[in-house]
Amino acid sequence: MAIRSKNHRIARTILAFRLGLFLAVRQVRRANPWTTALVISIMTLTFLNLVVVSGILIGLISGSFIQFRDSYSGDVLITPTSGRDYIENSPALVAFLKGYPEVKAIAPRHGAMVQILGTLNDLPEQNERPNRSAIRLSGIDIAQEEEITRFSRFVQYGEMLKQDEEGYVLIGANMLKQYSSFADADIPGLDLLKDVGVGSRIRIILARKDGDPIVKEVTVKGIVKSKVDQISTRMFMVDRELARLLPANKEQLQEIAVKTDPAYAPELVAQLKRFMGSNEARIQTSAEAIPSFLRDIETTMGMLGNAISSIALVVASITIFIVIFINAITRRKFIGILKGIGVDSLAIEIAYVMQALFYALVGSALGALIVYGLLEPYLAKNPIDFPFSDGILVVPWDGTAIRTGVLLIATFLAGYIPSRLITRQNTLDAILNR
Amino acid sequence: MIRADNIVKIFKSGDKELRALKGVSFTIGSGEFVSIIGRSGSGKSTLLYQLGLLDHPTSGKVFLDNTEVTALGKAERTAIRLNDLGYVFQDYALVPDLTAFENVLVPLLMQGLTNGDAKRKAVQALERVGLGERLGNVPSKLSGGEQQRVSIARAIAHDPKILFADEPTANLDNDTSLTILKIFEELHRSGQTIIMVTHEPEYAKMSDRTLSLFDGEVVKDEKHAHKAVEQHASG
Repeated sequence: MAIRSKNHRIARTILAFRLGLFLAVRQVRRANPWTTALVISIMTLTFLNLVVVSGILIGLISGSFIQFRDSYSGDVLITPTSGRDYIENSPALVAFLKGYPEVKAIAPRHGAMVQILGTLNDLPEQNERPNRSAIRLSGIDIAQEEEITRFSRFVQYGEMLKQDEEGYVLIGANMLKQYSSFADADIPGLDLLKDVGVGSRIRIILARKDGDPIVKEVTVKGIVKSKVDQISTRMFMVDRELARLLPANKEQLQEIAVKTDPAYAPELVAQLKRFMGSNEARIQTSAEAIPSFLRDIETTMGMLGNAISSIALVVASITIFIVIFINAITRRKFIGILKGIGVDSLAIEIAYVMQALFYALVGSALGALIVYGLLEPYLAKNPIDFPFSDGILVVPWDGTAIRTGVLLIATFLAGYIPSRLITRQNTLDAILNR
Repeated sequence: MIRADNIVKIFKSGDKELRALKGVSFTIGSGEFVSIIGRSGSGKSTLLYQLGLLDHPTSGKVFLDNTEVTALGKAERTAIRLNDLGYVFQDYALVPDLTAFENVLVPLLMQGLTNGDAKRKAVQALERVGLGERLGNVPSKLSGGEQQRVSIARAIAHDPKILFADEPTANLDNDTSLTILKIFEELHRSGQTIIMVTHEPEYAKMSDRTLSLFDGEVVKDEKHAHKAVEQHASG
């Protein structure tokens, strides 16, 4: 008996779906085209709000992650561990990397903190601070660096270094008063070099643990600028020349940026750690090397995006609710008649739910077309120029699918509740418009 | 076929009670064409709704083929309305979004017929009421008489045991009303049981039997010699 009753319910539900679909198709087909266009437009805008707002907010930070990788770290970044001045066993590590099949390129860099004296001719007046600043000096192998970071693109003024010429440096724009975006902030402790530009002679002072400091005068060949701090706040010279300047451990490196397939980076990190054995070095994927506060910002942006999207979702749900409710209430009599002649309430509810889902699906499809066909490729080519990053649109398919699912669930409820409210009314009262 | 047993219907509005039906009892046999007449407010439509399972009496019972349908649950009553009964309403009661053909098709699909069978039956029903050429018209493109014929086609497409008609000619002119009654007459001739509410005694005379209601009670149950529509039209 129970099985027969269950089978009967299943058969009734199937019939209700069949008739619900029949009615829904005709409701949509014969609905006022302007109303349909309006509702679909609202759903499209809701989809865009759901996907694009959070995508842009996350894209602001993700853009900086990508720039960090493309401009500085490569896919894997090797640096000294805390308290160490260099990467242990650097020559063997470089040789290992050069022979590793999945490694596409490496950029080994020497580095040291140096003092720069920006004014060589005039001595400072009494009580006047000298035109001096501390800066990280990085050595770059021009050809290898170009392969990983296309370093020459950062030269905003002057010229790029050449591998075979010495006595020249590139300085990050944020270290020069003339070019720095922080110049007008007058931040205590931040000493920017004054009157230093392309062609200026400056003095590099490299302290030694024992003995006199190493001093070398060089010419500024160019100014480099990037939204990545590691470019804009450093000074660069040809690596071979810097290695010679270093007082000790000349063969050991301070940074190695490695280019590989990003998906392979975690495996490469594991392989490198195995290779290094007891030799110490910090080996990280680009994502791991990103400062944690940026990760926190990304999370915050994601939450902010979700909050804004939620408001859009509520607005869309209310809109659908109103549309379906008005639609159903104006057809209350006909709903009563359908029930009166024996049509299952479920079929009528399904018709309205399908109508609502149709609006949501078409709106989402149009939204997806705009996002993936237009906005994402456009912003990839023309990133939004934010002061700290080039903002892109981050819209992963799985995230979009989840958001679309949420939109469909909200639409389902917004279609179901009003239709249920109407179909629950007394059949005869509905027929007689009482 | 259908039996009403002491049906009472009371409408409540606040503290007030309106006794629309005061213990109505009668039996209608299979194939009968019965008219229910009475003045406005006499309870004739209310009685039709109780018989047609569109409403539930305050007390009393309705039996359909010896089954007490007033004791059944909502789903079973809905199934009986779908499979065994047909309805024609005063204001046609067609779904405006659907064509004539689709309006007739809807209950057939709900009954679980295949698409092919449902379509065939819908077309047959519409042809039977003379609308075989107007299948694709939505109600707004049909005259009042045509809409009522669609309503009749919807009511008879599944060969119901009883056809209920609630003042089917009230919104129609005389000629169109006679066309509708002629269809009822033809249906009756083919064995269809019909229970029709009308406020026109002349139209009631075209049926086999008239139940006269006054103030919620059957005051007269009159069988009369059948008068054809053609005779009525000619005076």
